Amino acid sequence: MSNLQTLQHGFIDYLLGNPSNIAQHIQSTPNLSADKRLNIYAYAYKARLKEAIGTDYEQLHSYLGDEQFDQLLERYIEKHPSKETSLRYYSINISTLLRDEKPFNNLPILAEIADIEAAFANSFDAADSTILTINDLATLPETAWETLSFELHSSLQLLSYNYNSFAVWKALSDEQTPPDTIEFETPETWLMWRDSQLITRYRPIVNEEATALSFARQGQSFPAICEALLDYFPEDDVPIKAITFLQTWIQEGLVSNLKY
Amino acid sequence: MDAKQDMKNDDARPFLGFGLGLRTEHYQHVIKHKPQVDWFEIISENYMVPGGKPLANLDKIRADYPMVMHGVSMSIGSTDPLNTTYLNDLKTLINRVEPFWYSDHLCWTHAHSTNSHDLLPLPYNEDTINHLASRISQVQDFIGRPMLIENLSSYVTYNESVMSEWAFLNEIAKRSGCYILLDINNIFVSAHNHQVKPKDYIDRIDSKHVMQFHLAGHSYQGDMIIDTHDHDVCDPVWDLYQYALQRFGPVSTMIERDDNIPEFTELRKELAIAESIAAKTLSAEQLQIAGQPVLKGAA
Repeated sequence: MSNLQTLQHGFIDYLLGNPSNIAQHIQSTPNLSADKRLNIYAYAYKARLKEAIGTDYEQLHSYLGDEQFDQLLERYIEKHPSKETSLRYYSINISTLLRDEKPFNNLPILAEIADIEAAFANSFDAADSTILTINDLATLPETAWETLSFELHSSLQLLSYNYNSFAVWKALSDEQTPPDTIEFETPETWLMWRDSQLITRYRPIVNEEATALSFARQGQSFPAICEALLDYFPEDDVPIKAITFLQTWIQEGLVSNLKY
Repeated sequence: MDAKQDMKNDDARPFLGFGLGLRTEHYQHVIKHKPQVDWFEIISENYMVPGGKPLANLDKIRADYPMVMHGVSMSIGSTDPLNTTYLNDLKTLINRVEPFWYSDHLCWTHAHSTNSHDLLPLPYNEDTINHLASRISQVQDFIGRPMLIENLSSYVTYNESVMSEWAFLNEIAKRSGCYILLDINNIFVSAHNHQVKPKDYIDRIDSKHVMQFHLAGHSYQGDMIIDTHDHDVCDPVWDLYQYALQRFGPVSTMIERDDNIPEFTELRKELAIAESIAAKTLSAEQLQIAGQPVLKGAA
């Protein structure tokens, strides 16, 4: 190991609170010891990570309050030395920690609120895609429908929740008192995407549409999507239901390309 | 090096005038009002994302203003291998923005499988010079253009340092062919923290490598000054800026504000202070961009 590498590893160990001999390599001055000088960096390391997580999870912070949110940050930072080049992605494992560890997993809605906030961040800077219009659908040759499949906007996310997390998140973002937690009998699915004006949109979505959209996202053909919808609708109704879903997706800016 | 031998201005240095750091809080003001600013400096990493509003706003503003790019994550001084994903993303962004130049810091940020997300100082010695000169050359070869390296605010000195920061920076610029982004506030902060004279730093930096100035605010924490970028530029830093203008002549100057960010118009007024100091210190002939006067007054 080179001298420089030894210094850098020692410095990082100091920032992480691990045993380190870096202070032996730092000059003390009459007004400030090596440790106090190094501590400026250790304090900044934690403060910077806390600020980044706090920016990403504002509503989770509101829901937990300062003290418990800080407890979460301390735990996360201790368990997750940053491996990310960009702070943008540092906090991506917050919901996993909230799901896996006590006392946070005593309130399962916490992980779901974190998932919602992460989904907004993902939508915000997801890759740009072209957005089709109804006219693109209208001009399709009739034979195209036999093999038609779809590329959907890269910001599109299907989010499944066991609790009324979206209602709680919405109340927190509107600075209202959040409703009491309700656990659903079956999970509720929400659709989130970024529209042509770069605004993130979201709406609850019924199981039939979620199934069709999941199939479309997997690259399944229009006939395969219709077949999947036979579980929900009489055979005669399936084509019109599928077309209606497709028209809605196009109007909402979810469809980037038609392949046939 | 005899500082006095290098007091003349370097006519080859392009002068962009006076710029500001582009910040999210000011996007809508800039897009709507197109305020008079000669150029913007962007934080490269803010736009190294797949898509969405950051890049859309960047493209809109780039259509109206020249830009330079400033990075915080290259970790050029690390003993880890260069991050090729980062460099590819940086090159992609450079091709999109077409900046006058791109810069990063005389530091390391990542080592030991961990990113500090901070600008950590290096020991100033021959081994580190060789290490940095080699890595800067690799980056410049990959990007296809020379880069600018910025001096840090720092709070520690390694026992392994055997030379001054200015001598270290000069030597790296000389060997790698990179240019220097001289942060006047960082000189002030580090000089205070390490008890050296800031004017000595200015006097001894090799003028021919200097391409840009940064100005910023700082905070006192006990006996130390911390580079917080959350205050106005203070009078001693303005004085040092004037001294640097006398030493180097016209150098593209911008104000960095990263926290406690004021309204755009307030920041523009602060930039006008830099313009007025330059107007008092330099000749009208020196303050021209492509034959046109730079100082047009705040919008």
